[in-house]
Amino acid sequence: MGKKKGRRQVASGDLNITSMMDMMTIILVFLLKSYSTTDVSVAPSDDLMIPVSSTKKKPKLAVHVVISRKEILVDGASILRLGTYADAETGQPTVSVPAEEKRGQMISRLYDKLLEKAETAKDLGARTGDDSFEFKGEILLSCDRRLPFSVIREVMYTAGQAQFGNFRFIVIKG
Amino acid sequence: MPSKRSEAAEDLNLVPIMNLVTILIPFLLMAAEFVSLAVIDSTLPAIGAPTDPKDEEKEEDKPPLNLSVILTNAGYTVAGSAAVLASANEDGEGGPTVPCKESGCPTVDSYDIKELRRLLNEIKDEYEDEENVILVPESKVPYEVLVKTMDATRDDPTNKVGGKARILFPYVVIAGGAK
Repeated sequence: MGKKKGRRQVASGDLNITSMMDMMTIILVFLLKSYSTTDVSVAPSDDLMIPVSSTKKKPKLAVHVVISRKEILVDGASILRLGTYADAETGQPTVSVPAEEKRGQMISRLYDKLLEKAETAKDLGARTGDDSFEFKGEILLSCDRRLPFSVIREVMYTAGQAQFGNFRFIVIKG
Repeated sequence: MPSKRSEAAEDLNLVPIMNLVTILIPFLLMAAEFVSLAVIDSTLPAIGAPTDPKDEEKEEDKPPLNLSVILTNAGYTVAGSAAVLASANEDGEGGPTVPCKESGCPTVDSYDIKELRRLLNEIKDEYEDEENVILVPESKVPYEVLVKTMDATRDDPTNKVGGKARILFPYVVIAGGAK
């Protein structure tokens, strides 16, 4: 009896791992291939569908402004919510910046935040004395592809006022 | 005896490798990038287009082109300040230069990118040193159309020069735009 039990245990412990190893190796290779080294990342969602483009230029880290159909974020922190209104002519819902958030074309809260970011970046550049940290007014913009240009123009104008003049539009490589 | 040895060789202990791989997989999954990103550069018109310093000497015999593509919900209007181009291509009164395939441009695909590319190729033939284009989008134009237009103005993959897509006007300036 005892002998039999022992033998059965040995048999059940002898799981064939080889096929699993094959699978794991394939997954490992696939994941290593898709390993990302870029330091900019966006999480696409229903409200943030990034357009596809044929450009090959790699993104470089900079102040990152995300304009989804619901809100504007600066470096991951939500700044303000966008409103959806029916268009006067077509009646279709269009996204726009609420009027109370604007000073003329400028979005006040976004301006304050971006100015703060610009000051920080300049300070950093001055302290390190390194050319690569110098403030060049670079700003990354990830926008939803359905957004009307008016929203993007207002954000660009605001960024321009806050000394960010080099726009980099984030797109999906297609 | 030989049979015993071969049996021992068969029983390679894969468990530690399994452990290693199982730890590596979640780690790599986190760092995996399923959408690869790229950027399109653009500057504010107030600051000016990033021009090549060598461009300035070359352009003395020709007036600056100031090529602009105006995006409206009727199509593209291509314009330039130079008199030569204006007479040949600009279609000021009678609607856009490159009208949409469907009236009102309901979808992104209704913008006639092909025709715009063809036109820009012609302009590039005339002004080989010119590398700047000014985009003037209307307020309601969706962002995707803007990106597609920037793709069209940057290079032309259908027109290969030395195995590479022909570079048209890679430096984009986005102007405030028409209301």
